Amino acid sequence: MVETVVDVHDLSRSFGGKTALDGVSFRATAGHVHGLMGANGAGKTTLLKHLLGLLRATTGSVRVFGVDPVRDPVGVLARTGYLSEERELPEWMSVDELMRYSQAFHPGWDASYARELLDTFALDPAKKIKELSKGMRAQAGLIAAVAHRPELLILDEPSSGLDAVVRRDILDAIVRTVADDGRTVIFSSHLLDEVERMSDHVTLIHQGRVALSGVLDDVRGAYRRSRLRFLDPFDRPPVIDTALAIEGSGRSWSVIHSGSLDQFRHSVSARGGEIVETRDATLEEIFLARAGRSRSQMEAA
Amino acid sequence: MKMRSPTVAVLWEVWRVTRVEAARKLALGTVAAMVVLALSSSAREIIKDSTAAIALVLIVIPHFAGWLSTAKLNSGRPGFPLFLHYTRPVRTTVIVGLPMACLTALSVVIYLLSALLLRLTSAYAFPLLPVAAWVAAFTMIVLAALWSTRNWIISLVVMMFAAAQILGMAMRRLTAVELPDNYDWPPRLWPTLFDFPSTDYAVIALIGIASFGVAIAGVRRQRHGDGWVEAPSAQRGGLWAWLVNLFRIPCPTSSATRAQLWFDLKSNGLPLLTIGVALAIVILLLSAVANPIDITFADEIRAHLSCTIDDCFYARAFPVLITPLSLLVVLFLGGNAFGIRRKQGRTYVSAFEATQAYGAARLTLLKLLVKSACLLAAIGAIAVSVWISLPLLGDAVFVQMWNVPLNSQVSPIKSAIAAFEGYELLALAVVVIIGVVVWVAAFAVLGALWTRWSRRANVAVSSLLLFGLALAFLAVAEHNGIMSPFVIDAILATARWAAAAAIIGATAYLYRSCLAEHTLTARYALGALLVSMAFVAAWVTLLRAVGVQFAGVSWTSVGSMLLWSVFLPLFASVLAPWSYSRIRHL
Repeated sequence: MVETVVDVHDLSRSFGGKTALDGVSFRATAGHVHGLMGANGAGKTTLLKHLLGLLRATTGSVRVFGVDPVRDPVGVLARTGYLSEERELPEWMSVDELMRYSQAFHPGWDASYARELLDTFALDPAKKIKELSKGMRAQAGLIAAVAHRPELLILDEPSSGLDAVVRRDILDAIVRTVADDGRTVIFSSHLLDEVERMSDHVTLIHQGRVALSGVLDDVRGAYRRSRLRFLDPFDRPPVIDTALAIEGSGRSWSVIHSGSLDQFRHSVSARGGEIVETRDATLEEIFLARAGRSRSQMEAA
Repeated sequence: MKMRSPTVAVLWEVWRVTRVEAARKLALGTVAAMVVLALSSSAREIIKDSTAAIALVLIVIPHFAGWLSTAKLNSGRPGFPLFLHYTRPVRTTVIVGLPMACLTALSVVIYLLSALLLRLTSAYAFPLLPVAAWVAAFTMIVLAALWSTRNWIISLVVMMFAAAQILGMAMRRLTAVELPDNYDWPPRLWPTLFDFPSTDYAVIALIGIASFGVAIAGVRRQRHGDGWVEAPSAQRGGLWAWLVNLFRIPCPTSSATRAQLWFDLKSNGLPLLTIGVALAIVILLLSAVANPIDITFADEIRAHLSCTIDDCFYARAFPVLITPLSLLVVLFLGGNAFGIRRKQGRTYVSAFEATQAYGAARLTLLKLLVKSACLLAAIGAIAVSVWISLPLLGDAVFVQMWNVPLNSQVSPIKSAIAAFEGYELLALAVVVIIGVVVWVAAFAVLGALWTRWSRRANVAVSSLLLFGLALAFLAVAEHNGIMSPFVIDAILATARWAAAAAIIGATAYLYRSCLAEHTLTARYALGALLVSMAFVAAWVTLLRAVGVQFAGVSWTSVGSMLLWSVFLPLFASVLAPWSYSRIRHL
């Protein structure tokens, strides 16, 4: 049986009248990499903060390793590694002090792994955190988060604002962490190629709600991008069953759609059109279709 | 709000950042001064006059603190705080001049409002323009010192020099007329004493222009790259960061508690202790050199002040003035035990600390104990320094300044302490230690509540201030026969019992809530109860040791005293972890 590491049920949270999360339910199972996608302000960081107990669930419930992270922070945080989006580390510490301090909280600290990562990232242990660049801070924070071989690794926008080299180093370190048996990673990102490369499960959060969630291959398999040609031109996008997003003009239109291909083909034929070409949609196309449609609907409203 | 021009936008930002501090400055100074005046309204004329002088000091003092809310934008570090304007198409003269003018004007308005209110509610002619002009000058000097450089040593030296000069000038002006059997600046002399020469206003104008010029030049350099990067790393974080880096103790890895102890000692405790020890050394050194200086410059001092060398002093006043200031500094630094951070006006707990696998109650206890131990040691260092310094200064200084021969009272104090039994000394130690811990906890809790519920905390504190003011006025009304003593007694008794009921109810509620949330364990609760009982026992022992007799005192008074001594530490012991938990898990 697959062990559930994170179980969020019907979680809602507002900040001063603005709804950040609205009835979010989310499960993460052991040994998988879960990618959280969403636009800026969608609610990804708010959800991750609930998992760490930094935010108290006011509506709904949050369970990590079967316990509430607010009631038992030690039980959850001892088995969790975390890298925040702001890379917030004590500026007065040196890299070596950061490692030693983090080590004290985790009996399972793997000193040789930490040293190896320090060498890989070419981080000087004597350097103060305040003297490090943004990328170096992210690397130092990542070592502190992964060197105790946590059962759950939570990363909030781990490669945001970093150059390609640092980004690759960080993603490699995450991949190595995942390679250990039974480790679970939950990471948020708005870089969809990164999510696609790293995750086996994806969840799209849009305006505080879960817009889609599932195994990456299933998600990709459930959405297609088709190019359509109609006999008569349309001034406005034609209404087609199961279409999520449609763009184009006149007789040629491109559609992102879900559901069965037969049903879609039938709907297109009923409008006097035909499918010229069809393929699996990329994650970016799915993301834009799911997030973008709501946005245009809102704008229309 | 629609911003019609960059000028309006800058002014709006300054107002948003400083409005709460402005309200606090006005309220605290005025309310404290009014309470002091109200409490002495029925006293003898000389007491009333001296409290009027204290009231004047109380409305001036808030302006010596500068504008802390703008400094918060820089996390307390020197340098121009509104640096986000650097990338906007606004001239440096505008982004510096406008806030400077705005803050100076705010200081002046706050002082004038306070003085006018005191004029209206008392019979004393509190000075208006002359003092307001010097408040403006000092504000501009402080702003220029803080904004024009990112080097805290330069800022600090300039501010200390300016404060010393202005205080020295104030002392010289106010003590120009010697009055027998009275202090030197009674209110009846104010119109004369505060009638400053017109050259003062010319000097103040020059100070204003110079401060503005220095600030512009400094900020222009910062705007074009003379920034944090160029500053030596040790200077980037200010004095506190320098002190943090002073101690190179390796972080223990054997346990989380030891590592957290190291973290709090290094980042929070040892810098405070170092400042306390440094101030103690300064007091001792000043006391040691003060007598020879006064003797060396005796002729010059006598030329300015008609006095003999015994009651005539200049340098010897400094250690006496610095001692209470030092105590205030270390007590103030004893706050923020939870390490709450400030950035661009936002207050928060570091996510790094909040996500360490350590329980809220244990973390709270550790933080409070580390800070309290360092505060206690700092106070101890200052006390030892003062104890050694007293004979060096002699009695004349204290008699002249406070009418108390403090040096002569050292022996009676020594005898009184020597007469204490061992258990009484232990009781004294227990009361002092728990008292310091409660002080540190109170400050930490206030900081946490302000971080979590700033608006509600402001309302609560304002309500308490207003309640205090109302009580002071009721006391005055009672004394003047406007209100029956029965009514005021009933109001006071009701307030006392309501406060007692509130503290009992709040303690019970918080314990229930913390135990239910697993923030506290039953073991912690039992420990807190035992500490509270120890405090009561020590307090009663100490009262008996100093000769307080309980026989003949009403049972309600004894019960009230015991209740407060039990519930104050007990309340603090639950409120601290509860409030920390509220900022750790928002």
